[in-house]
Amino acid sequence: MSAARVKPPERRGNDPISGSVLGHQPEALLAFMKLYGRLWSHGILDQSSKEMARIRNARTLDCGI
Amino acid sequence: MSWLPEHGPGRDDFARTFALRPDLFDAWREFAGIFWEKRLVDPVLLELCRLRIAQLHGAAYPLSTRMREATEAGLDEAKIARLADWWKQPGFSELERAGLRFAEQFVLDAKAMGDEEALPVVLALGDAGTVAFVEALAIFDGFGRFCRLLDVQPNEESA
Repeated sequence: MSAARVKPPERRGNDPISGSVLGHQPEALLAFMKLYGRLWSHGILDQSSKEMARIRNARTLDCGI
Repeated sequence: MSWLPEHGPGRDDFARTFALRPDLFDAWREFAGIFWEKRLVDPVLLELCRLRIAQLHGAAYPLSTRMREATEAGLDEAKIARLADWWKQPGFSELERAGLRFAEQFVLDAKAMGDEEALPVVLALGDAGTVAFVEALAIFDGFGRFCRLLDVQPNEESA
C-alpha cells in the first residue's frame, strides 16, 4: 500500500519497520518478525540465496523497501 | 502426499510438509492464526478471500479446508459455491465485493493496483484494518503458491 492510501501510525518510534504502516497492527508485526527472524537466523538455506530471492522479488514488485 | 521425498509428522499433508521445518511452522502458525484469533478482519471476508486466492492458484489443500471462525460467523457452502464467479452472483456485500476485487488484483498483478481497487477497501476497513487485510492476503497468496508448487494434497477429512 502506498503512503497516500494508508498513513503511518501516529506514534512512531525509531525503528523504521514499526514506524511504517505495519505499526498499525503491532501484534501481527511481532508475530511476523518472529517468523521472519527464524527464516533468516535459523534456516538451512544459505543466506546469499535467500537475499537474492528477496531482492529479486522486491525488484519484480517495484518495492522500494 | 506432496512430491517431496521426505515428510514430517502431522494430521494432514500441509502439516506433514511444513513439519520438515518445525521451527518455521510454529512461527508461521502463530502469525497466520492471529488474524482469525484476534478478529483483525471480519472472518467471513477473510475466508472468502482465502478461498478465492486458492481458486486462482488451483491450490487443492486450502480449497479443502474451512476456517471455523468464518463458519461460525455464518459463511455457508452455498455462498462458497458461488465464489468462482462472485462478480455476477447475488449475496455478496459491497465490502466483500471490494475485498475480492482487491484480493484478485493483489494476486494477479500487485503493481497494477489502482485507487479503484484500493480505496473502497481502505475507506471500509480504515488504516489498521487495511494493513491487517493485506498481511492476511500475503499469507493466503504465499501459502497458496506453496501448496500448489509442492502439490500439497487436500485435507483427508474434507476431500
